[in-house]
Amino acid sequence: MTNNNVPVQEIFPRDPSRTYGLMELVKGTSPMVDKGPEDTVMSWPNLLVLELLAALGTTVVLLLWSAFVKAPLRELANPNVTENPAKAAWYFLSLQELLLHMHPVLAGLVMPGLVIVLLMAIPYIDRSKKDVGKWFASKKGRKIAFWSGVYTFACLIGLVLFDEFIRVRSIVSQPEAVPGWIIPVFVNAGLILLLYRAIRRWRPSRREVLVGLFTAFTVTYFTLTIVGVFFRGLGMHLVWPWDLPPGALPF
Amino acid sequence: MTTGNGSIADFITRNRIWRSIFRQGYPDNDENRAKAIVNSWFLHIHPVKVKVHSLKLTYTWGLGIISFVLFLILIVTGAWLMFFYVPSVQSAYTDVQNLETAVTFGALMRSLHRWSAHLMVVVVFLHMCRVFFTGAYKHPREFNWVIGVLLWVVTMVLSFTGYLLPWDQLSYWAVTVSTNIVGSFPLIGEPLRRLLLGAAEAGQPALVRFYALHIIVLPAIMVILIGIHFWRIRKDGGLSSPAEASENGNDKQ
Repeated sequence: MTNNNVPVQEIFPRDPSRTYGLMELVKGTSPMVDKGPEDTVMSWPNLLVLELLAALGTTVVLLLWSAFVKAPLRELANPNVTENPAKAAWYFLSLQELLLHMHPVLAGLVMPGLVIVLLMAIPYIDRSKKDVGKWFASKKGRKIAFWSGVYTFACLIGLVLFDEFIRVRSIVSQPEAVPGWIIPVFVNAGLILLLYRAIRRWRPSRREVLVGLFTAFTVTYFTLTIVGVFFRGLGMHLVWPWDLPPGALPF
Repeated sequence: MTTGNGSIADFITRNRIWRSIFRQGYPDNDENRAKAIVNSWFLHIHPVKVKVHSLKLTYTWGLGIISFVLFLILIVTGAWLMFFYVPSVQSAYTDVQNLETAVTFGALMRSLHRWSAHLMVVVVFLHMCRVFFTGAYKHPREFNWVIGVLLWVVTMVLSFTGYLLPWDQLSYWAVTVSTNIVGSFPLIGEPLRRLLLGAAEAGQPALVRFYALHIIVLPAIMVILIGIHFWRIRKDGGLSSPAEASENGNDKQ
């Protein structure tokens, strides 16, 4: 109430009970067009509860894991006693595997460098937005990923076995550039090109081509890591996991 | 303070001290739920509302948040381990032995640190696979994908520098093998290897260098990259979802 003659209540009644009516439907554009009311939810609590659960779950799993499995600790470092096999950390064992088959510069610098640059280039190669948020882009993409994975796995196992039991260097060892550079580069480039040609037969989109190639990369990383961790024994020769010398597991 | 229903919860969330810290009452209505996010330093990186699709477990598998949780666990357990560890060739190994045998919860904390590090390498890689296979790297998220690839590399390098610190046979020879690869590079290889090791072979200089990289240099880089990574998620319109696909169905940007 004010001191004016007209009481405020008459213009803006203080009574909180109000009624609403739908007056008119207006067609037009606004930021909310095509966005149904169920499109979004409040972050508190919907998102935060999930984040809390992820944090608690991770912590509990790790606590249990750490309570039952102790972190390894070997003997004191001794430069005079070479470990056999001497393995890098497990996530570098795919690189160490490459090292067995080609020149160290190719295995340790060119290959990983190329992989990282190509990974970063992916979004600049595939610019279409027509299948964002769809796993493997499409049914076709799923098929391409599956067969690319099978192909890559088979090739890798074949190459690893070939270089172990027949050995490229027993066929040609001179000059060093042949087994170190030329053969690995041509074999790898050839196999990737073959994969690319095979993928093209599906008449894929750019993204589907990339799905095939990225799958080949992940399967390579996975397969070579497994080979390096579980199948490389004395002198980094192939053995069955149950024949690994003691201490060959790099963790 | 007099308008509440007089419950204990009401008493706690309506007094001056609570309000000075949190500004708003308990988030039981949308206004307070929004304020709980924007008024909190810890939570303000979140949007007030999120797409329902972003919460779908079979879309994200929670891999990004799990990577971050692992990083936090690593910081906490890592700082704790620093209390008991001196990066010296003479004492590093016995420090770790003492952690295993004499320090309360030492073995548990060291195991937590070790296994979290391994798991983080796995989870970060899986996160990268998830983002790729759902096409979440596409415009406008190109650059955040690049940051993500860098984060994967930094995660591995961080793990690798920690590998040397126990100064046991496993760490010594793993680092020798890895730095020998670096040493074989043409021209820059040998100087780079010497820069990493600080000497011709892994010894005291290498241990101190790896330690400094592991506890401050790489974590600092990691924190900055994570900061940019999270910030870009917001700036690029939240998590990707199939709803975006129809907005711009052709190759144009």
